[in-house]
This record gives sequence, C-alpha cells and structure tokens, in this order.
Amino acid sequence: MGNMTELNEQALAKYRNSFLHEVEERVEEGDWVKMCMQCGVCAGSCTFGPHWEHSPQKIFMMIRAGKREEVLRSDSMWMCTSCYNCVVRCPRKLPITQIMHGLAQYAHRLGVAPKMQPTRDLSLIFWNNCIKTGRVNELRFTLSLYFKDGLMAGIRQALSMQSIALALLMAKRLNPLEFFKGHECKDKAGIHRMLKKAQEIESRRQGAHK
Amino acid sequence: MTGSIATGEIILVVGGGISGMTAALEAAECGKKVVLVEKSPTLGGRTALLYRYFPKLCHPACGLEINLRRLKGNRNVRVLTLAQVTAISGARGDYTATVKVAPRYVNDNCTACGDCERAVQAEIPNPYNYGLDQMKAAYLPHAMAYPQRYVLDPSIAGTEDGERAKSACKYGAVDLDMKEDTLEIRAGAVIWATGWEPYDAAKIQPYGYGLYANVITSVEFERLADPHGPTGGKIVRPSDGKEAKNIAFIQCAGSRDENHLRHCSRICCMASLKQSQYVREAYGAEGRSTIYYIDIRAIDRFEDFYQKVLKDPGVQFIKSKVANIVQDGKTGDVILHGVDTEGYHRYANSHDLAVLAIGMQPSVAAADIPAEVIADSSGFIEGALAGSGVFGAGCATNALDVNRAVQSSTAAALRAIQVVNRVARAEEAS
Amino acid sequence: MSDMKTAAYLCTGCGIGERLSAAQLAKVAEREGKMHLVRQHAFLCSSGGVQLIRDDLEREGVTHLMIAACSRRAKTEAFHFPNTAMSRANLREGVIWSQPDTEEARETTQEMADDYVRMGCAEVKKMKLPAGNPDLGHARRLLVVGGGISGMTAALEASRAGYRALMVEKSGSLGGWAARLHKRTAFREPYTDPADTGVGEMIAALQSDPNIEIVLNASIAKTDGAPGRFKVEIAVESGSARTEDVGAIVQATGFSTYDAAKLPEFAYGKTPNVVDQAGLERLAREAGANPIRRPSDGGEVKSVVFVQCAGQRDDSGIHLPYCSGFCCATSIKQAMYFKDANPAVDTAVIYTDLRVPGNGEDFYRSAQSKGVTFTKGKVTGVEPGGNQCKVSFRDLILDEDTAISDVDLVVLATGQVPNSGVNIGDPEDAVADAEVKPISILNLSYRQGPDLPQLKYGFTDSHFICFPYETRRTGIYAAGPVRRPMDIAQATEDATGAALKGIQAMENAHAGRAAHPRSGDLSFPIVRLDGCTQCKRCTVECPFGAIDEDEKTYPVFNESRCRRCGTCMGACPVRVISFENYSVDTVGAQIKAVEVPDEFSEKPRILVLACENDAYPAIDMAGMQKNVYSAFVRVIPVRCLGSVNAIWITDALTCGYDGIMMMGCKHGDDYQCHFVKGSELASVRMSKIGDTLTQMSLETERVATYEVAITDMARVPRLIDEYAAVINKIGMSPLKGFA
Repeated sequence: MGNMTELNEQALAKYRNSFLHEVEERVEEGDWVKMCMQCGVCAGSCTFGPHWEHSPQKIFMMIRAGKREEVLRSDSMWMCTSCYNCVVRCPRKLPITQIMHGLAQYAHRLGVAPKMQPTRDLSLIFWNNCIKTGRVNELRFTLSLYFKDGLMAGIRQALSMQSIALALLMAKRLNPLEFFKGHECKDKAGIHRMLKKAQEIESRRQGAHK
Repeated sequence: MTGSIATGEIILVVGGGISGMTAALEAAECGKKVVLVEKSPTLGGRTALLYRYFPKLCHPACGLEINLRRLKGNRNVRVLTLAQVTAISGARGDYTATVKVAPRYVNDNCTACGDCERAVQAEIPNPYNYGLDQMKAAYLPHAMAYPQRYVLDPSIAGTEDGERAKSACKYGAVDLDMKEDTLEIRAGAVIWATGWEPYDAAKIQPYGYGLYANVITSVEFERLADPHGPTGGKIVRPSDGKEAKNIAFIQCAGSRDENHLRHCSRICCMASLKQSQYVREAYGAEGRSTIYYIDIRAIDRFEDFYQKVLKDPGVQFIKSKVANIVQDGKTGDVILHGVDTEGYHRYANSHDLAVLAIGMQPSVAAADIPAEVIADSSGFIEGALAGSGVFGAGCATNALDVNRAVQSSTAAALRAIQVVNRVARAEEAS
Repeated sequence: MSDMKTAAYLCTGCGIGERLSAAQLAKVAEREGKMHLVRQHAFLCSSGGVQLIRDDLEREGVTHLMIAACSRRAKTEAFHFPNTAMSRANLREGVIWSQPDTEEARETTQEMADDYVRMGCAEVKKMKLPAGNPDLGHARRLLVVGGGISGMTAALEASRAGYRALMVEKSGSLGGWAARLHKRTAFREPYTDPADTGVGEMIAALQSDPNIEIVLNASIAKTDGAPGRFKVEIAVESGSARTEDVGAIVQATGFSTYDAAKLPEFAYGKTPNVVDQAGLERLAREAGANPIRRPSDGGEVKSVVFVQCAGQRDDSGIHLPYCSGFCCATSIKQAMYFKDANPAVDTAVIYTDLRVPGNGEDFYRSAQSKGVTFTKGKVTGVEPGGNQCKVSFRDLILDEDTAISDVDLVVLATGQVPNSGVNIGDPEDAVADAEVKPISILNLSYRQGPDLPQLKYGFTDSHFICFPYETRRTGIYAAGPVRRPMDIAQATEDATGAALKGIQAMENAHAGRAAHPRSGDLSFPIVRLDGCTQCKRCTVECPFGAIDEDEKTYPVFNESRCRRCGTCMGACPVRVISFENYSVDTVGAQIKAVEVPDEFSEKPRILVLACENDAYPAIDMAGMQKNVYSAFVRVIPVRCLGSVNAIWITDALTCGYDGIMMMGCKHGDDYQCHFVKGSELASVRMSKIGDTLTQMSLETERVATYEVAITDMARVPRLIDEYAAVINKIGMSPLKGFA
C-alpha cells in the first residue's frame, strides 16, 4: 500500500506527463493511453455507459491532465464488464478493456480504490474464491456475495432468490454439498505456484512498486 | 491522330473523371497528343454525380460543360470509353498499353434520340444514382454524358429487349454483334487518374448501413439533393419517402480508423458542412442538421464556410464519434447513441435520416495498377519511381478535394510533357 | 463579300421531319435566308450527310454553312468544319423536344423552327472565319518571381520540360522559408518523422541547370506586354537594371508570418521564451545536434506548449480569419524535435481542431506514440514569470478552465500572410490609410493595376474550384502560399501545375490562340478606332485587364491577354468592338431576322439571351428531358452576358419583341461567371435600362435578368413560362410594326 499524499505530490503539475508516465510504466497496457484521440466512441459504446462517472476517453484525458487522485479514486473503471464493445470499435485500436482493468487493479494495489464499490467487491470475492481451489465454487461465491454487507442483508438476499435456487436444484444445476467441500482442480498447488510466479513477474514489471 | 508524330510523344491518360480530363486537356492545350481512356460509358467521373461543390455551392456540371467544350474543340485528345487498361509494358518514353474495350452495342451513328430507351423494357439499377433507382437497360448515363451516345447494358444483348432496341433505332446505331475489343496503345508517358470510390459502408457494422434503410452515405445524399437524382431533388428518406428534415451527418465513417481506412479522407467534413446547407435550401427554418465529428477539418480558406455554417442556427455540432445507430421499426427514425466528449454528455438522438460521411479509397489500389508506382499504406500512388514515365494524378494519389485534384492533374500533365518533350527532342536530333 | 457562298443543310432526322415541314424550312432558308444552296438530309450527322457537306465545301466552294439540326452542343465531332464559318439552328433540343407534340402546337412549333432557320442564316452571313490573333509573341522563357520552394520548383520543372527560366529573387539567397527550417513535416511513407528539407539539393540543381538563370537581390521594376512578349525590367539592389523578354510569369512570392507581436495576450515580445513557429525553427537550427535551450537563460527545456491557431481562425475581426492549414502538422513536427532528442521533455499541443488530412493522420499518430500530448482546448493567456510561463486555457474535453505552469517554451502557431502586392480592388483611400503600404511585386504597366487581382484576405487564388489556375491576368500564374495557405508538399505540386500553365500560355501566345475557358479560340476583339469616343468603358470593365490606353486614351488591345468573353463589346456605347465570328452584327442580325407577328396575333415574341456556358446548356438539357416551355421564345446564346450590347436590347424592342430575358451566371461573392464580372456587369447595365424603356413608353418588365445555373433544366422552362405570363398580362408591345 502506497502513501497517497506522497504519491500525489509527484503528480501535482497539470498536463505535465508525470502521471501519464506512471500509468505507462505501472498499469497494464497503460502505454496506450497517449494514443487516444478523444473521439468518444468507447464512451458511447459501453453497455454500462450511463453508470460511469468518467468515460474511458475522459479518463485518458484526465490521465494526460495529471488528475491522479481523481482517476485512481474513481469507481469508473470498476464498471467495466469486459464486453469489448469499445475495443472493437476504437479507431486507434486501444485495448480499452485491459486498460480499465489495469487502472482498477493499480488503484486497488495502491489502496485508493473506492470502498463499498459493488463490482470491486465482486471482483475481490471472485478472485479469492477461485484462487483457493483453482476453480470457482459458484455456491460459495454467490453466498459470499449475498453476505458481504452483513448477516441480515445476506439472509434477505438469499431468501429473495429462494425460488431460483429451488429450480436450479431440481434441474441438478446446484449441488448443496459444494458448500462444504466443493471440488478442486487437479493440481491446486501448481495453480498456486503459477499465480505466485505471475505476481513476481508483474511486480518486476511494475518496478517493484506495491 | 495524325500519323506524323512519334508514338513516344503521345500521353496516355487513364481515367476520365475531372482529374483525367484535366490532365488530358492541360497537356493537349500545350499542343500534346493525348489518348484518354475511361472505363465507364461517359466522361465526368464522380464529380458529375455531385449536386454542388463546397464552398461556393456551385454546380459541378458547370465546370464539366467547360471541360467538355474544351475537349470538343481540341483535336489533340482521342477519347476511348468503356475501355480499361489491363497491362502496360515498356519503359519511359516507349510504353505499350493493352486496352480492353467493352462493347457499347451502339455505334457512332447514335443521335441520342432516345428511341431505343423507349423500346426497351428491362430495367437495371442506376449506377449514376448509386443504385438508388432503376433505369432502362438502354440508357444515356446522364444529361451531361459524353460521348452523347446511348449504351446497351450487356444483360440485354441477345435478348428480345436487345432486338427491340435494334429495331427501334432508325439510324442503324444499335449493333448487337459488338464484341470486346483489345487495343494496343503506344505512349511515351502515362498519367494514372483512376480516382476514388467510397469505402464500403456496410463494413462499419455498428452504423447498420444496408440493414437500416435510413442510414445512407454522403455520396447517396448528393443524389437525393440533386434535382436530377432519383427523387427529383427531394430530400426524403428511403424507408417511407417521408421528408427528412432532421438529419445526422456522421464524420469519419471509415476514415481515421485503423479498423477501416487509416487516413483522413479530407473532403468529408466540408462535404457534410455543404450538405447541411442542402437541408436548409430544401426545408428552410425547419431543416436541421447535426454534425457529429472528431475534428472539423475545414482547411485554409474553407474555414470561412465552416464559420458560416457555425452561425447557422439550423446546424448543431457535436464532438463525438457516434457509437452505434438503430432504426426504430415503427417510426423509421434512426437513433444515434454516443457521447458528446466536450464535457461528457451522453445522448440518444433521434433523426429522420443518418448520412455517413463516407471515406475515400483509391478506385484502383496502387498495387493493382499494371505499372510500377510507389504506393502508400492506403493504396494511393505516393509518387513515380525514379526513371519512370508513369505518374499519378488526382484522387489516385491522395484523398483530395476537386480543387487539389485539378492542381495535382495539372502538375501530372507537366511531368508527362517532360517525358514526351525529351522523346521529341531525341527524335529531332536523330 | 463577293466571294461568300452560303449553304443551308436541313436535317430531318430525330423526328424533325415528322414534326416540322421541311419544305417550309427549306423555303425560309432559300427565300428569306437567301442561302445559295439549300439541302435536306434525313440523317445529316451520318457519314453520308457529312460527306454531302464536305463535297459542297470542296466542289461548290461553299464558304458559309448553316446547319439546321440538333443543338450546337451535340454532334460536334460530325459537324466539325474548322475552316468554314458555321452557324447552327437548334431544331431538335430547341424546338421539337421542348414543344408538345400536339396538333394545336404544330403551328407555333413550325414558326419557332422557321425563326431559328432565319436566325441561323442571318448569323452566318455576318460571320467571318477568324484569322487568328495578330498579337503573337514567341518568347518561350518563363519568369519566376520568388526563389522559395514554389519558385524553385516552377523553374526546375519548366526546365525539365525543355523551357528556359529566369528567376528573380529579392533576397540574397534562394530557398525562402524552407531554407530556414530545421526539418520539414513527413511527406512520404511511413509519415512518422520529420524529414530533411532537401532545399540544399534543390538550390544546387537550380544553380547547375543551364536552362535557368538566377538574379538575386533583385525586384521587378516594370512588366510590360502580354503573354509571349512580356518585357520585364529587373532592378538589382546594386543599382543595375536590365530588361528581359519572357513569355509567361509564375509569381511565387510566398508568405510572411503573421506578426506575433499582435498577440500580447500570449506574451509574445514580453519574454523570449514565447516564440512563433518560425522562431522555434531558428532555435532548432541554432541548436543543431544539441538540445534546444531556453532562450531567456539557456536553461534546460523540460516543458513545451504549442498554441494552435494563434491569431488565426479568428472571428473577432482582429486577427486572421482563415486557417493556415500547415500549422498543426508543423507543431507536431516541432514537438518531435524535442521528443526525438529527449523523450522526457513534456510537449503539449493545445488545439481546437487538429487538421492533418490524408496521411497526416499517421504523422499525428506517430507524435502520440512518441508521447506528445494533445489537448483539445482554447488558450486564453500566457503569463511570463521568471524563466518560465504559465499557459492558461479552457480544456474543452474536461470542460474546465485550467493552466499549465512552469512551461519553458511556448510556441505560437501563427499563420501565413501572403506577399501579394497591390490589389486591384482596394479603394485608394483605404490603401493610403493602411499601416503598411502595399508594395507592388510585378509593377505591371496594365491599365487596371500593377499586380494580380486578389481574391480574399490578400491571396491571389483562383475563384474557380474546377480551374485553380484561373488568375485574372492571362499568362501570369500565382503559385505557393501567395495564393492560398499551404505547406511544402502542396506548394511543390502547385508550382508544378503553375509552371505547366505558364508553358501553356507561351504556346498559346505563340499560336495566337485564346487561353481558358475559350481555349483554342482564334477570334479576337477588333476595334474600329475611328469611331471610338475614348469613353474608357472597355478598358475599365475588361475582367482580364487586357486593354490599356494610349496617351490619347484610346484603347490598346493586347489580344494575348484577352480571353474572348466580349465584355468590351458589350460595354462599347458606339459599338466599335467586335469579333470576326461574334459581333454586334451577328447577334443583331439574328434578332432582326425573327418574324414578329402583329399585335393582334396573340403571339408575343420573347428574346432570350443566354450565356453559352451555363444558361444555354440548361435550356438545351431542358429540351433533352422534354421539359416543355413557351413557343414564343427565341434563344440566342452569347459568350457571356457581359458581351450583351445595349443596342441588342433596343433593336429587339424596336423590332416589336414583347420581352427580353437575359440569363447569366450567378454573381456576387460566390460568382459563377466564367469571365468573373460579365453577368454582374450585365445586371448593372440592365438596371439602368429602365430609363430607356420609359423613354420608349415601355413597361420595365419588358427586360428582365435572371441568374441561371447549368442544372436549372426544370427551372428554366418554369422561368420562361412565368415570364410569358407576365408579358401576357402587360400586353403586347406597342412598338410592333414600326421597325
């Protein structure tokens, strides 16, 4: 976790490229941000568009303008559902989806990502769930999601989904026993080694910044 | 052609649009012999299919008339229509071009009286209106067509319709036995002026061209506005013929886009600004246009026109590359989705008609030209190889407006003259 | 006239024979037209028909032909008799195709055809075969004024075509602005990096070319003459002078940069760290292989801001209203100077519309990939402080007022101002009041002024989209940024085209032919000076400045400068100017040849004088589309409405015509008249005809002028019918039967 104030001091100067350079160096596919020509087709193509505070193209402009805190604290890039609409339409072929995830992950690593942001919570739960066994345990994943805001909220949410759960049970699409153990991938340890290695490579690439 | 001049002193011009005509005429008016080869049945090219030019809003037919008169009065130019250059061999100063001439099925007895057209029943899509309407299979391409001679579509050769045309003609002009002919033309220099074609709008999938009737291209819009177009100049939408008074003009439809055309096509911004004035001309205060753009490229003196349109209350500008278009099944209106990037405003705007300011690509990609030239990444001719006598002109060399295409063609004429004059000097010396 | 032998050929093809009585037409040609020979043919444009005419020319010694068939715009290949005077009566498009094929219309249709035959016969008898311009000039050397990229290109390209060139450059060296550039913008694949200017090689090529003579430190003291025979006095700074013969002139006098001192809000002049683009080139050249330093203290440059459209695209009326076109790419190039040397330098380009058409898009992309930041915004001010500046602007994407601080260097993209000399149109007092007096470049001894007339904002561009080289001074072509803002690539292309036009003008002058738009025309204005009243109208009104005045103020025609529009003929109150094949008489005779029925006939006669460039083709195409119009009109094509002499109007009215429609091209700012002012002059002249009408006790409606476009094939018939209705309403002319 970095120190926000200290990091912000590096990037105070507006339209100086310090934050842009930071993004280029430390954010996945961040190198592409400078290529945006502000046409806005990504913003218009996004299926979740109306829910974004800042559209991708605007985020790119904010990065160039040195608005470090505003960008990293924004929940906008957490809204990306990886539909790739923007990527296929971008006239400059920017990998916008990847950049959005890269920015979100970077903000998360810096500890400045917005709290109580549902898609961020979902992402975290999903990640923690799947790295444990190497497979996603759908039942536990769903329940962790329901109970993330407390016991009562979880029970209420679970009850509201009762009939769907029942239908899934009848259709043999839901195995209640998964809750207790669940099945794992064949080489769990291998997966963990792989993830560890990936993290090492990633932090090397990021210049060892955490 | 007089027999006395050396074939190396002839200039071959390929393409009879405004660029090819200009190159041919400028050279001919310097006293040079020119063969002008055009693949369609008439000269005039794509400018003949425009209603007005920017920024003066004058009519392309006006300049075409002058050029045709120059041509009619100049015996230095020999015109071949329905002719395509398929091969060029030889070297600077001594080229031989193979020219395939398609049958017109009408010989030069034709007086353009129109009897064959009246006799024939079959109809074909009218390419001079970009297929927006049908025309008879015996036709005069358009009112300004040159040569002023009818054409029979090959589809009616050998049919009853063909016979009808033949028997209707009092002057023995219909010749159904015409066959494709191959000519060899020798020339000292070649000017390649095959012009441009609109990018295939159907490839821009989110805009629904081909899927939605009310999404059309800028070149088709020219025909709608033209009194000699398919609607008699009425700006109506294709789906239901309703007056299109609220029109969206979408810039960079294909251009400036690595998924489509890498280059900027230069003319589209100005074309849309111009077309917004057609809407005003047709519908007065009720005519409304919205121009969706990335950058308005009203270069140099064209800025005046942009400033004029900016002041027009009927024209709105939105800085946005439109994300997608859907057509409302019930109303036929097109709904444009996107974001105005000046301050981030999301829109879903309804229009009567969407006009795609379609990009320009070379009609013949430089790689397909049967002579060696230097190509750019978009397939335009970047330049002539050192020591070559094959020169590009007009939109075969770049995305150009008419004015620049004519400049380019005038320059190409001089480059060709440099070659043939050298041949002439060598002839004199020998 | 004793050796004149006339022949009339009546074609009965294309339905003419079915719709009209050929016998009647033949009778008209013979008895009224007094044609020596009258022949009919069922298919005159066929090889047989044409042979018939050829035979008559050879065997019968026919000198004057009248062909009554289709329009003069049709079948021009067949009816091509260049050595014979010829008129054409338009019976097809002009009569049978524009009149209804009904029994009721038969009589009026026949009358129309009879009249056109009468007119054709009358016209051809007044025509002479043009003998060719006597004002031949055989100089085949091109004068190039200005030794920048445009001028050097024009000289080299002319030389490569085998023509000699004489280059006059006012400074002591060649190369112009381009020689002062560090690099030029990318102009070929892959369009990613600044390129060498190549100016050095070009200068070397020029200096070693035996066809090219270069005079440095020199200006044009006087230009006399006409294409093919210009006499140019060259004044060299050292005081020497020489006179040279040249055939044509390319004016490539380039541009000056817009004075950045007029932009105090951008701190230009307040700190050396604010420069214009030319200033940055200077810094880059001075730095050479080293990094560009901050001018104020030689400090390291870490941040550069480029301000686009500085003093350009300005709608306040203070600065340049236009866009100079080249500056976006130039800023991109200059930002690369920094990025290529040191990627850590921050470079921001603040623009409102980034204008890099064509492959410029690749150059833009390349700059982005090098890390140049582009920001859509409008700069509001530059504040100097110490060795750095603060650039304030409105960010149009983020929609906020903001600023960049600690900027080491600010580059203002100011535009191009043409070096174009004295404008013909500028009122004298405005010139006297001007801060900087315009200095003539060519010092033409022309009656109408010393330089090329300017179009707008001082540029000498052509007004015509299809004809970019149509300057209003034949044989003198502007090239490069003097005629329109442009970059090196475009100036090179432009200058090559201008060189061709110069060569063409020399070849035309050599052969006595007219230049565009009546290219190849061998007729020329002939003046009968003994009738001239020295009124100067022709010398003032000639759109091409072709007519000078001698010491007694008689007009002096310079035929090689003339474009054969006939504006002088239209202007002349005493009718002493004419062409051999187009004169007061050729048209006047047609007007008088029409048979005007008496006032009780209910058959008015309306004369249409139609510009042959646009209105006549429109009427013609109306016929082709079978758009019907009143049978009472008689159409006469004229070279330009400017050539319409008032006598034709009075003649027509005294002959009993009921109305006159004059159809010409659009005039005003976006004029479409091919002869610049013809249609406008006609409309001014006709606005004064009211008095004449009143004196003749005629209604003012009897003469009307219209702007007609070539596309008006549906509108023209409507105009005609509406006018016929007006005539019907005011009644027949009271002047019938007096002539």
